[in-house]
Amino acid sequence: MDDGGPLLFLIALAPFIGALLPGLMIRAGRTVCAISTAVPTVIALTMLMVLAPAVLRGEVIQAEVDWLPQLGLSASFFLDGLGLLFASMILGVGLLITLYARFYLSGEDPMGQFYTYLLLFQGAMLGIVISDNILLLLVFWELTSLSSFLLIGYWKHLPEGRQGARMALAVTGAGGLAMIGGMLILGNIAGSYNLTDILQAGDAIRSSEWYLPALILILLGAFTKSAQFPFHFWLPHAMAAPTPVSAYLHSATMVKAGVFLMARMWPVLSGTDAWFYIVATTGLVTMVLGALIALFKDDLKALLAFSTVSHLGLLTMLLGFGTQAAAVAAVFHIINHLTFKAALFMTAGIVDHETHTRDIKRLGGLRHLMPITFLIGTVAALSMAGIPLFNGFLSKEMMLEEASHTDWFSSPYAVPVMATIGALLSVAYSFRFVSHVFLGPVRDDYPHKPHDPPFGMWAAPALLVVLVIVIGVAPFLAEGIVTAAASAVTGADLHPHLKIWHGVTPALWMSVIAVVGGAVLLALHGPLDKIWAAAPRPEAKAIFDRLMAAIVALSRGITEIGHNGAISRYLAIFTAASVGLGWVAYASSGLSAPTRGLLPVEPVIAVGWIMLVVATVSVVVMHHHRFRALVLLGIIGLSISAGFAYLSAPDLALTQISVETVTIMLLLLALHFMPKLTPRESPTGLKFRDAVIALGAGGGVGALAYAFMMRDIETISDYHVANSYEGGGGTNVVNVILVDFRGYDTFGEIIVLGIAGLVIYALMHALLDGPAARRLKNTDFSQDRSRDRHPLMMVVVTRVLMPIALVVGLYIFLRGHNEPGGGFVAGLVVAIALLMQYMASGFAWTQERKRIEYHTMIGLGVVIAGLTGVGSWLSGSPFLTSAYTYVHLPPIEEFELATAMLFDLGVFLTVLGAVMLMLYSLSRIARFAGATVNEGPMDYDPGLKDEQEAER
Amino acid sequence: MIEADLTIIMPEILLAVFAMGALLLGVYTTKDKMAPVLVWVTSALFLALAFWIGTTGSGSNAAFSGMFIDDAFSRFAKVAILLSAAAILVMSEGYMARRDLLRFEFPILIALAVIGMMMMVSAGDLMALYMGLELQSLALYVVASLRRDSAKSTEAGLKYFVLGALSSGLLLYGASLVYGYSGTTLFSGIIEAANNEDGISIGLLIGLVLVISGLAFKVSAVPFHMWTPDVYEGSPTPVTAFFATAPKVAAMGLFARVLHDAFGGVVSDWSQVIAFISLLSMFLGAVAAMGQRDIKRLMAYSSIAHMGYALMGLAAGTVLGVQAMLIYMAIYVTMNIGTFAFILSMERDGQPVTDIESLGMYSKRAPGKALAVLVLMFSLAGVPPLVGFFGKLYVLRAAYDAGLAWLAVAGVIASVIGAFYYLRIVYFMYFGEDREDALDTGTPPVLYGFLMASAIIMVVGVVNLFGIEGAAQAAAAVLVE
Repeated sequence: MDDGGPLLFLIALAPFIGALLPGLMIRAGRTVCAISTAVPTVIALTMLMVLAPAVLRGEVIQAEVDWLPQLGLSASFFLDGLGLLFASMILGVGLLITLYARFYLSGEDPMGQFYTYLLLFQGAMLGIVISDNILLLLVFWELTSLSSFLLIGYWKHLPEGRQGARMALAVTGAGGLAMIGGMLILGNIAGSYNLTDILQAGDAIRSSEWYLPALILILLGAFTKSAQFPFHFWLPHAMAAPTPVSAYLHSATMVKAGVFLMARMWPVLSGTDAWFYIVATTGLVTMVLGALIALFKDDLKALLAFSTVSHLGLLTMLLGFGTQAAAVAAVFHIINHLTFKAALFMTAGIVDHETHTRDIKRLGGLRHLMPITFLIGTVAALSMAGIPLFNGFLSKEMMLEEASHTDWFSSPYAVPVMATIGALLSVAYSFRFVSHVFLGPVRDDYPHKPHDPPFGMWAAPALLVVLVIVIGVAPFLAEGIVTAAASAVTGADLHPHLKIWHGVTPALWMSVIAVVGGAVLLALHGPLDKIWAAAPRPEAKAIFDRLMAAIVALSRGITEIGHNGAISRYLAIFTAASVGLGWVAYASSGLSAPTRGLLPVEPVIAVGWIMLVVATVSVVVMHHHRFRALVLLGIIGLSISAGFAYLSAPDLALTQISVETVTIMLLLLALHFMPKLTPRESPTGLKFRDAVIALGAGGGVGALAYAFMMRDIETISDYHVANSYEGGGGTNVVNVILVDFRGYDTFGEIIVLGIAGLVIYALMHALLDGPAARRLKNTDFSQDRSRDRHPLMMVVVTRVLMPIALVVGLYIFLRGHNEPGGGFVAGLVVAIALLMQYMASGFAWTQERKRIEYHTMIGLGVVIAGLTGVGSWLSGSPFLTSAYTYVHLPPIEEFELATAMLFDLGVFLTVLGAVMLMLYSLSRIARFAGATVNEGPMDYDPGLKDEQEAER
Repeated sequence: MIEADLTIIMPEILLAVFAMGALLLGVYTTKDKMAPVLVWVTSALFLALAFWIGTTGSGSNAAFSGMFIDDAFSRFAKVAILLSAAAILVMSEGYMARRDLLRFEFPILIALAVIGMMMMVSAGDLMALYMGLELQSLALYVVASLRRDSAKSTEAGLKYFVLGALSSGLLLYGASLVYGYSGTTLFSGIIEAANNEDGISIGLLIGLVLVISGLAFKVSAVPFHMWTPDVYEGSPTPVTAFFATAPKVAAMGLFARVLHDAFGGVVSDWSQVIAFISLLSMFLGAVAAMGQRDIKRLMAYSSIAHMGYALMGLAAGTVLGVQAMLIYMAIYVTMNIGTFAFILSMERDGQPVTDIESLGMYSKRAPGKALAVLVLMFSLAGVPPLVGFFGKLYVLRAAYDAGLAWLAVAGVIASVIGAFYYLRIVYFMYFGEDREDALDTGTPPVLYGFLMASAIIMVVGVVNLFGIEGAAQAAAAVLVE
């Protein structure tokens, strides 16, 4: 590190710290505010000048502080020739703009705000050109977008200003983000995010397969920033900004950032065909196109804006050539363009300020009224035209010289001819600027009586014009900085000699053609302008707007496809995506060959299978009829239970069958209160789609099962079989799994079941308050009711069955631990027995004979199960570890007592309580719907026969 | 044994006891009158727990035979979850009270959801995973439809529930396959089973893919994202804000846990799937958001895109990747808190407004807030130098380093597309039409505070990201080993 390191930090920070000043000082007056803005700039410029001699000697000054090292981000800066050139341009012009803006802005404009933005922008710009770390460079790059956005939109009352800011932001912001990708790739190839390292890794980068993506992404950033075709459209629209902003951003700084980046990356990225064809071609096209449009613009600033586009194209083209001489020309032209273009912008601003119009058609003859402005504007414009003795001539000659011997797709004429045309157009619009604004007769209809502005306003452009002439006459004065910058760009040690006279070269002839042709073109401007105005041409802003509208429409379309609000579509997408993902996993896994054969198909199985399939298909087809669907569901459930029984899974069969019975019974009771048919909502096409997806998902699951069963796998069953008795004290593995191995699950499940019962109960409350209740009340169910709702036979049979069922339940409960059964099934069996009582004798009658509240039963069940689990903590075991022992009570045989049984009791109670609570809820609906409440066990009591007949 | 287990899980137990106690208290005493107090007490408890977990926890501890894991990773995620939940609760109090939505169940449900989330990021077992996930989801289903008299809100809740049930089903199917083929529900056992020399068995693989589908739903990654816009739009805004923050962290944390703790040995088998989901999420989120007019829907798509980026870190399958994901999530949550503080304050004549165009020329009426939103929007878009950029940079680097350069480049392109709609909001605020029916400019101090704090963090955070890098790295290292 050099001694200059700390100074470099101060240079980078000065504008940012200084940005606080204008806001603080604005109360002290406008001049003080302007001075306080100039102070940090002057400080930074002074420090830069202190460092300049060393840089001009070829030294590179570096400074580094860690920032986020893990990301490869460090606050490191370096200053070489190129950085010095740009930094001094940014600070120097910044100073002039500060002065100019002091006089340009009117008293109503919030000046403090303006200067703050200006300093922020200046700091960001400065950061770009002296950043060593490319991530840091990106940070500053986007900061310029941000602060320029604030500056461009400064005059909020102008609608064009708003549009301009939006486009500028959208285009440059997007480009900057794209550049992040390119920079990341570069950094990864080079293994470092430091520019100094990356610049050494040119060969590695150019030979990398990621070179082209990186190049394109970085160029996207550079082209958007520097308004290269086809992104050139935003720049002219950003011209609605105050003129000081245009002069600063669009001549000297922001738009040059893209050029700077290309120059900075030149040693790494240039030299390939891709670079040449992309960069040089884009530059060439932009140069000619920009110049052409500029010629026909009537707005003074638009003319200058398109001329800027054209000159940026020129610079891009020179860098694209990839030769050292072209790089020298580019560097020199950067300086020259800065001087004359900033002066021109300020001139335009003065004209606008004094006459209150920028429309060329309403101007003319100003040379008599504004002689100083005329002088400044003319010198600058002649330099832009490339007239000898002004600096624009020198660099244009160098450009034409380079163009004259560049082949483009093996054509030696394409580039020189186009370059000459570009120069010709440039001469034409430069002359037009002078002749249509200043020459000609004095008019008497200016919107405002013009005269020369105060000294402060023309001082800045005057100084620039002096530079134009000085460099134009004595180019060797600029040799030092051009040498340093060009050497930094190319990474080679160059010693260019800048001269006015190169002898009679092709470039000179091209120049002569350009000047003569340009003058002729201007003479013909009147008729040409009419043709131009009549000719159809794409208006970039309209295209941009239409493009945006199209993108938004496209986005809406895409959104509509996925998000039309219909949950059926969501489910379809969801299911299809899962099947797809499953397929990917299946396909990528390299399935081994099946190791098992198919079992022979027993006739019983075949029948059951067919029944199942037929019933399932029928449900799908007939699901609009609720009762039919329910009956079919019952068939499916029973077939599956039978299947379990047949395949030696009595536990599952028992559970399944009791669950089926209970649910079908409850559903039957519930369906009574619903319409017989469900609404038809899906059109046929949708049904077809759904069928395909459903078949796909079902087929996928089926295929998965098939694939698994065709192979020998280690399943977890063996473990459970081996440990069931020893660990859980039961020989019924299923039950032991439920109450021991997976006791947690069961515990959770019974809680869920209990909650479900409670929720149904609670929902009923809400339901019976709402519109559903009114519907219920208004529906006439009397037609559905049997005359004999509580038939004698049924009452008698259920009474007889009741104790038997209870005993069976007890039996199933007790044997559960070792044989098929258990608390769950037992609960269901008892529930069924009770359910039958309700069905036979009606709810009210049964309710009177109830001893325990169902809520209590559920709670009791959960508590018992929970306490059983907690009990195992007493012995230091985890929650729900079961313990068992054998008990011998004299009259009975020895039997086993396991804590699991207590747990099972909890399960039993919860299941019973939940089912009964659901029934209770249903009965409430029934009564609400007008069902009569019977007090007796049956409607027709044989014992009361005589009395009833007497009543009749 | 038991004492040790209980000590490890103490924060969760405390919170659960608090939630249930508050529920009883609420039901039997003052009901909704206590709600404002309860909101503040709950968020104070969240803060205290976050402080407790963040400062006292150390090392890696497993409770209940490995079902519950307390390590640097879970602590990082828990602190993020608790802090964001506390912030959202405090922010929602005024909004809910003004609209007569502040029921005492609200803070309790949030507390229950938070317990679920804490379980999720600590899960060391498929069972614990599912318990946490469902506790969280069930609470969220309810809060989504908290505004019972609004058809939109109930519809949102119902959609979320139905789709959530389907995703839970998928996840369970996958989990049972995993259990069936590894013989254990413990992650530590699954990783051994997955690491056999013949490669992962197809049963495990398909199980894994289905689990991924289920989890992708929870983080609202494409193509399991469909619920997000509808639920975001339909739910009361504070609930939307909650959806956009803490649950996302939890789901991402759980995602990382499952992938690394249970399938960390077979990164190549899931990396591509995650990368694919990430790619789809980034692009769909970016493209679909462009056409939105409702800021809540827009934020829904924005969150989808952001989850895509976070998943990019996960797809890398490296320590850096997990670290990047954690940093990304922390930043994302902070940005969203600020953004939703603003959305909550968007009112016209006291009525909530969510139309983006209503922001026209907001900068003129409320320059300070407009500037804060500008900062947040740029940060969300990932524009340097704001903190959001560093989050993106981290995941991009992680993906690039892991050989997923194509994904990183795609991520950059998606961020370019995505910048469009964030900038559109800024555009409206600074250059839009000045409308007659402009938004009110007053903002409750709480919301104002969060908005400003969040924006300031986005700017000041660039100095050193408040040092979360180190914590995230430690967390990631524990997880990935």
